[in-house]
Amino acid sequence: MQRPIASRMLVIAALVGVTLMPNGISGQSGGPSTKSGDWPAYTADARGTRYSPLEQISAANFNQLEVAWRFKTDNLGSRPEFKLEGTPLVVNGTLYTTGGTRRSVIALDAKSGELRWVHSYPEGTRGGNAPRQLSGRGLAYWTDGRGDDRILYVTPGYRLIALNAKSGQPISTFGTKGIVDLKVGVVFGNEQPIDLETGEIGLHSTPTIVRDVVLIGSSMKEGMTITTHNNTKGLARAFDVRTGKVLWTFNTIPRPGEVGNDTWLNNSWAVNGNTGVWSQITADEELGLVYLPVESPSSDYYGGKRPGNNLYGESLVAVDLKTGKRKWHYQLVHHPIWDHDVSSAPILLDVTIEGKPRKVVALPSKQSFLYVFDRVTGEPIWPIKETPVPPGDVPGEWYSPTQPIPSKPAAYGRPGLRIPEEVIDFTPEMHAQALENLEHYKWWKGDTFLYSGTLYNPPIVGNVKGLLGAVNLGNASGGTNWPGGGADPETGIVYAQANLSAFAAESVAPPPQGFSDIPYQAGVVGAPFRLREAAGAGTYADVPRRREAPAPRAPAAPQGEQQVQNYSTVEGLSIVKPPYGVLSAIDLKRGELLFQVPHGDTPDVVRNHPKLKGLTIPKTGQGGSVGLIVTKTLVILGDPQVTTMPERGRGAMLRAYDKTTGKEVGAVLMPAPQSGSPMTYMVDGKQYIVVAVSGGNYSGEYIAFGLPDAPAPRRTSSSQQ
Amino acid sequence: MRSAAVYALMIASTFAVVVRVIAAADVQEGQNVGGAGARAGTVWSGVFTSAQADRGGTVYAQSCANCHGAGLEGADMSPALSGAAFMASWNDLTLGDLFERIRISMPADRPGSLSRPQMADVIAYLLRANQFPAGATELPTDTPALRAMKFVVVKP
Repeated sequence: MQRPIASRMLVIAALVGVTLMPNGISGQSGGPSTKSGDWPAYTADARGTRYSPLEQISAANFNQLEVAWRFKTDNLGSRPEFKLEGTPLVVNGTLYTTGGTRRSVIALDAKSGELRWVHSYPEGTRGGNAPRQLSGRGLAYWTDGRGDDRILYVTPGYRLIALNAKSGQPISTFGTKGIVDLKVGVVFGNEQPIDLETGEIGLHSTPTIVRDVVLIGSSMKEGMTITTHNNTKGLARAFDVRTGKVLWTFNTIPRPGEVGNDTWLNNSWAVNGNTGVWSQITADEELGLVYLPVESPSSDYYGGKRPGNNLYGESLVAVDLKTGKRKWHYQLVHHPIWDHDVSSAPILLDVTIEGKPRKVVALPSKQSFLYVFDRVTGEPIWPIKETPVPPGDVPGEWYSPTQPIPSKPAAYGRPGLRIPEEVIDFTPEMHAQALENLEHYKWWKGDTFLYSGTLYNPPIVGNVKGLLGAVNLGNASGGTNWPGGGADPETGIVYAQANLSAFAAESVAPPPQGFSDIPYQAGVVGAPFRLREAAGAGTYADVPRRREAPAPRAPAAPQGEQQVQNYSTVEGLSIVKPPYGVLSAIDLKRGELLFQVPHGDTPDVVRNHPKLKGLTIPKTGQGGSVGLIVTKTLVILGDPQVTTMPERGRGAMLRAYDKTTGKEVGAVLMPAPQSGSPMTYMVDGKQYIVVAVSGGNYSGEYIAFGLPDAPAPRRTSSSQQ
Repeated sequence: MRSAAVYALMIASTFAVVVRVIAAADVQEGQNVGGAGARAGTVWSGVFTSAQADRGGTVYAQSCANCHGAGLEGADMSPALSGAAFMASWNDLTLGDLFERIRISMPADRPGSLSRPQMADVIAYLLRANQFPAGATELPTDTPALRAMKFVVVKP
């Protein structure tokens, strides 16, 4: 008997549908990858490795690198930018990146730097209000493998835009005319929507794309001096890469009924926010797991309005790629009051540890600990111990008596400052002065607490007439910050740069009357109150340029205030002994440091210091935060500071290290410090390294380095050609 | 009639003068040839006045201190404007470069809101804070003149 036509058509249609079912390719599953010489994602791949197997550039020729091309971002916006943080992508001979005070998107010929297309989306006051401005860290690429190639990025005003990678035109079938308004669905308080124009939320990190899923985090303003604890609530979301439809939302502040809600005592979940996911999200496509690095809850240094451990603040959370449901989490800091945001992309590696193959996730941190977990179960690979930390006494504050500290691997930087061992000692006089200076701050003598009580040392109510603050190393800017680290998937070695000299004296004080509903904010009693802004605050391209003298930013200071004395330097030198910054390598197979070397030229002030004449001072490295790449043989990263050296004038070096020994094997001069993490790619058999530089007098520029081309063969009069 | 010896002497002394003139023209700022002449054109030669630096302090407190700190110590991502990092960042550049950076992009939330005299005054304030000497003349407000003033950290 014949089947009815209708049902036969149905069967055919179903079969056709299945065959043509869209199957996105991005990175891992047969699409562009570092194996083919591309760099298709911010961290090279969705696993956060920053690894490329290219080896044309090597120890033998690194010093011969020349500038192949350069691209200034001055005109991508109404004025130049001076903090360019982007890492470009390269796919099939085209380079894509963001740049400028507009955060425009550009496509360049990857061989010559020639501009192919540019896209920009002006956002007016919404952009001017954005908490995270300038060019951000870049963008994301997706292809269906059959000609639908897309670029996706997040604007300063927090919109997700999808562009045709060939033309730069918005994709009309994505969101509304190519745009998804990411502020829609964002709330504060008890599910109250934020205002689309003025609501505080934005992003610097790039989307992470896995299969057909676009993963987007969230970021707010710097949290040291904020006007309310009832701020925008952070979140992470997944969107369909074709349509822009929301697939799932993960609330980083658990709502009633959700696991972790009870870590916000007195229902403080309802009146607190931040807790965003501002660093780079990574994902394991095979396991279908997404790794969210979660930041601090509202008010970086005072948590009296949010008693409790405050999950998932300063936690690593693994969620299901399809559903967004939490699979496991680990909180790195309970009841965060040190601004130790989870700042690095979680790095996914497969390593044999103690004879067993393990799937791990390794997290570099501001604390200079590498936290290593089984990325399937969340179990720490090596024990992480709840350890007593110094007590605090700020009125109304809630304290966690312990914090989790990894037993292995050993810290790869300085979690705290050992006093007196790690205090400046170029000369006995300087050392003595430093110890005198330290009497102005709170810390613990002896070994009651690790690192002289400077690790998880709670902020005090500092006073200009007494103790000025609690010594910490690297709250906002120590250890490894937003550039994160990288890893070699072939050897299981993680690499990270660390700032060892970010001396901080954390203090809170009542802010001026009416400024905030939080009783204590960053500040010192008796000193003028100061608003703390993020880099680039107010630099959006359309910020009006007013000519009249500006009104004071904060309420007028009462009479009798005095400046806080700065005791963190001795004769202009850091109170912290060198090294000031290092490149560390951690071998996960053994859970041990493989090498740790100073990174960056010794600063001018040390080399030229009149009191240090005649002393032989080993290379000190530099403070600051820079990202790196790992190749077949090298680890490559640039200096975060400018120095003037007699043999090469002023500038900053881009350095190559042997990835097994840490020996520096080459360096080339850049005109300004590295301000964005490098990347590498190969086109037509030639390898390039591109890095963003900017700072001081030097506006943002992407510089591409490559080896010199062999000279073209000379034609003779009897040329056969 | 002068003797050949006198002519020789005249030629020799003219030659010596010419050489010295050329040598003087070749002297770059910062070269250690001693004396006030060598410092001319650098931040060591008293390029601002104390009164100008005072005025600059008022502008600084209103427009700069919020990000760069009341004591120029910087904070988080806004760099310190006195001390080692600032000096290294601007060493071997000119005051014109510093002026242009401010003119184009500072204060970060209101670029273009300061007048030329205000910006010159702020630079005077920064120079004093970094312990460069005050002098009898104010910093000019035009960029080319400021470009003739080299910022060198090590005193020539």
